[in-house]
Amino acid sequence: MQTDSLIYRHNRITRLTHWVNAFALLILFMSGLQIFNAYPNLHWGSKAEPDEVFFSIYATNDDGVIRGYTQLYGWTVETTGFLGIQQTEMGPFPRAFPSWLTIPGYFWLAGGRRWHFFFAWVFALNGLAYFAYSLARGHLRQFLLSLKDATKLFPMALYYLRLRRESPQEGDYNPLQKFAYTGVLFVLVPLIILSGFAMSPQLDVAFNWLPAMFGGRQSARAFHFIVTFLFALFTFGHIVMVATTGVINNMRSMLTGWYAVKATSPEPEPSEPEAAAAEPPPEPTSAPAEVSGKSPEAKAQTEDPSHEEK
Amino acid sequence: MKKNSSGMSRRKILLGALNGAGLLLLSGCENVFNQLHQNQKVLSLLESVEGSNRRLLRSLTGKNKLAQEFSEKDISRYFKPNGNPPPFTGQYVMDAMSGWSFWRLEVGGVVKKPGQFSLEELKAIPGRTQITRHDCVEGWSAIAKWKGVPLSEISKRVQPESSAQYVVFYCMDTDQEGNHYYESIDLHDASHPQTILAYEMNERPLPIEHGAPLRLRVETQLGYKMAKYIQRIEYVASTREIARGKGGYWEDQGYEWYAGI
Repeated sequence: MQTDSLIYRHNRITRLTHWVNAFALLILFMSGLQIFNAYPNLHWGSKAEPDEVFFSIYATNDDGVIRGYTQLYGWTVETTGFLGIQQTEMGPFPRAFPSWLTIPGYFWLAGGRRWHFFFAWVFALNGLAYFAYSLARGHLRQFLLSLKDATKLFPMALYYLRLRRESPQEGDYNPLQKFAYTGVLFVLVPLIILSGFAMSPQLDVAFNWLPAMFGGRQSARAFHFIVTFLFALFTFGHIVMVATTGVINNMRSMLTGWYAVKATSPEPEPSEPEAAAAEPPPEPTSAPAEVSGKSPEAKAQTEDPSHEEK
Repeated sequence: MKKNSSGMSRRKILLGALNGAGLLLLSGCENVFNQLHQNQKVLSLLESVEGSNRRLLRSLTGKNKLAQEFSEKDISRYFKPNGNPPPFTGQYVMDAMSGWSFWRLEVGGVVKKPGQFSLEELKAIPGRTQITRHDCVEGWSAIAKWKGVPLSEISKRVQPESSAQYVVFYCMDTDQEGNHYYESIDLHDASHPQTILAYEMNERPLPIEHGAPLRLRVETQLGYKMAKYIQRIEYVASTREIARGKGGYWEDQGYEWYAGI
């Protein structure tokens, strides 16, 4: 056990909403690709003229030679086997995104829509619960990017790249983390919701500005697709950070709430939550832990600045 | 070209490896989701939000707000005629060749004054012209100028009973198995000012591939609601007894009856 001690980093609500969100995003991603497969082209503007495609995944058949291609503006790459054409037991099969990336795994637009719209509700209500809770608890302020933080983005990147000795971090989250979290919560989330809404003919009837703010309904569809992959990029970065900064410890803290910290400074801080935390982790939902989360002292402890998780 | 081919093969190997890894990782996942999707209880749970979607979206939009109307220059150069091929039956071909002079729109169901309308009679009713965007469930959109009779004008003439909840459109086109296309909307959308029975597209008689002689336009919903090749309209209390009971051709195959998303 040596000098490691356990702190209670993530409370029940954070943990629950985190995993519900992760699951909902996965389903939304995969069912969204199923929906995209029904018309694997993107356009700017209100309408979809076939000769005004800026992104497309398609298949060609030249005398029985079947190939898949992905095109972005004038740039086309062959993606046979992954995008456009998938190798199946029954031979090559034309489909934009492969079956293992879509829900359901066979081509069924109606099914994809059912999953997508159900988990859109899960995503929205879960996100709303998290947002309201964090707002009430003052947690949002901790990772909101300020102008001052913005000036520290570059120094922080230098620090990560080991080109700078000291971290410019003050407080619980470093500037790059704040940038990522603020960007997701206040840019990507509103964009994905609004661009999704903008594709609804019913909502467009009342809110003509909704598709117009993106430049038309087809633009909104393109934004929805692009922002999806920004979410995927964030998730990828998030998983890389979790994996490289102590995967077991990180996973434990998001599953049970308890996170191990090295007692680097000799100064003892035997506050009661710490003492409680030093015990082998009890049930994650144990009462003392919940109480400790509420005392300001414990808060300073539990959100240890030296351990960022991204 | 040479340089390209070696790059191509490397890319192929890479993509193959990616696909292989993905398959290994996710084929288990895929099977789970496929099986879940075929489970009736899971499907009913997924489908349960359709009512919430309808209520939420309609409460946000209110009644009789108009869909955006575009200008002449926004009209699509290409408008994909989706769905079944035109109904090339002897009757249909003859009607088309005669300029629809023998074709009649039959309107019935729970109405006080069932009736028949020739195309000329429909055109004599004050029409509505609108340049609107058509959104297909597949994801594409196209813009065209439509002229037709507001469905509310038909309602006014046939006078639905108070028990009428839905308007059902029976169509002449069939799929490969011979099932006729049909659709239904509720009175909420039926009374919308932009809900019209269109007989003109882009200032010309409705083309065969777009549903001649008469098709529905419901600007608050997706394209599959907008029945083409309409033969008969019925006001009904419920759509449960029609075909497979879900209120439309695509609905019977799992698509939402409420297609406002």
